Amino acid sequence: MPPGLDALKHIVVLMMENRSFDHMLGSLPGIGGIDDAGAFANPDTTGAMMQPQPLAAFQGQLQPDPDHHFPAVDLQIFGGNMAAGRVANMQGFVKSYYNQQQNVGHSHEILYYFKQIDLPVLTTLAQEFAVFNRWFASIPGPTICNRAFAHYGTSFGRVDMNLLYVNEPFKSIYDRMINANHTSKLYYYDTASSTMEITNLLQHQPQLFGTYDQFQSDCENGTLPEYSFVEPNYSDHDTDTGEEVANDQHPDHNVRAGEAFIADVYNAIKGNADLWASTALLIVYDEHGGIFDHVLPPACTPDQFTASANDTQTGQPFAFDRLGVRVPAILVSPWVPKGTVVSRVFDHASIPATVTKWFLGDYSPRSPRETSADVFIEPNVAPVDPERNLLSLDVMRTDCPDFE
Amino acid sequence: MTVIKVPKPPRSAYDPNRPVSSLLKMQVEHLYDAEKRLPSRYRSEVYVNAIRTEGEAANYIRAVTEAIHEAHADAERARRAPKRTRGIEIAAVADERAERKLRGRSGAKKNSEKKKR
Repeated sequence: MPPGLDALKHIVVLMMENRSFDHMLGSLPGIGGIDDAGAFANPDTTGAMMQPQPLAAFQGQLQPDPDHHFPAVDLQIFGGNMAAGRVANMQGFVKSYYNQQQNVGHSHEILYYFKQIDLPVLTTLAQEFAVFNRWFASIPGPTICNRAFAHYGTSFGRVDMNLLYVNEPFKSIYDRMINANHTSKLYYYDTASSTMEITNLLQHQPQLFGTYDQFQSDCENGTLPEYSFVEPNYSDHDTDTGEEVANDQHPDHNVRAGEAFIADVYNAIKGNADLWASTALLIVYDEHGGIFDHVLPPACTPDQFTASANDTQTGQPFAFDRLGVRVPAILVSPWVPKGTVVSRVFDHASIPATVTKWFLGDYSPRSPRETSADVFIEPNVAPVDPERNLLSLDVMRTDCPDFE
Repeated sequence: MTVIKVPKPPRSAYDPNRPVSSLLKMQVEHLYDAEKRLPSRYRSEVYVNAIRTEGEAANYIRAVTEAIHEAHADAERARRAPKRTRGIEIAAVADERAERKLRGRSGAKKNSEKKKR
């Protein structure tokens, strides 16, 4: 068996907030970013065609928060075409942002992206390890329902931000792990930031949760569970020890704070040699946050739920049969060859799908979306397809970068 | 091995008075829903509709998150603690038995006294 898979004992997922692939990683050459976008442009409300510009700012630019609720994302993806048989064209980002302030100049800023030098952590990790250039949000909609896919493999028919009370029989990935005598934990940043979306789990199973401080000490002490999900800090707030700056990168929080947080999670794992050798870290964003991307979201296996026309607020029902906008996703492990680019299609249902297959093997019931989602770590059972195994090196790397 | 310097955000990035985002607003609402299910002694008494800033939202979120943990921890402690009520019940039963015995004896005494008369 591949030694990287033999060594793998832990999977860690860090899910950031609301940034698209082109916005964060589009500047990198040869990975399907801006250099692949050709003459991609969006019309503004005067009819002028606007192209993406490397002018993104760390903070103070995306105000108000770009709309990323279902109807707005529908406009962004289809450019306002509501006809039957319509085809995605990614032509509505500027129009959508204009709708929020009726300011033509301001609406162009939705097409701004970061230069590579702006994001030394994310772009370094993308080039050093495996970058996924076709990882999409699970739903063309907001945070709550998208994060649900990472925990349950479905949003139980929701396309909005309302409180999620889960329906049997689809259990969270944490329940599945614990019930099978495996270990699993969700680490929120601190109690003032708490957890996003899974209030349902928090109020019924608070024992599943820990803080980021505990994550760090679990890394240091070698007591990290087999599967961990890490949440960033969602707000600026005071604590007993000082000021905590939001590091989730949700507009309009400072993007550099998020960079530092990603580096910190990486360092916490890499700081323990045994853990580093036995852990795969996935860094992924929950959805695009209304910010442009040029790649058309693909169709997918429909879920068993349908959101009504009333729920989608577009006049059309939604069968969960296509994905949301493309987001950054990177797999970090010393067993991943430098410069790996993965072009298979993934979405957040791939997270419980991968964790389940890796730790539990066959498991049911799971949602149609999850059972059809691709996995980013191959099960370590013969035969392992070398084309699909990302932890493919025969010898662990010793040249991985350090962040300080 | 490459060492990458990670730039820190400026101090001006910190603004707990920033108006609360729709995401945080939703998180507050979700936790408010959870708070309503807590026994009253754990509730924050914060009027969530008056929350305007990130700092205020964070204070509320902290209060409810900690209260949820506390309520569960208390419930767990109560579950594991030796059950006093059972001890009292046993004691009460024992007392009742003793009383009955006494009553029985005194009744028997009375009866025997009656018989003697």
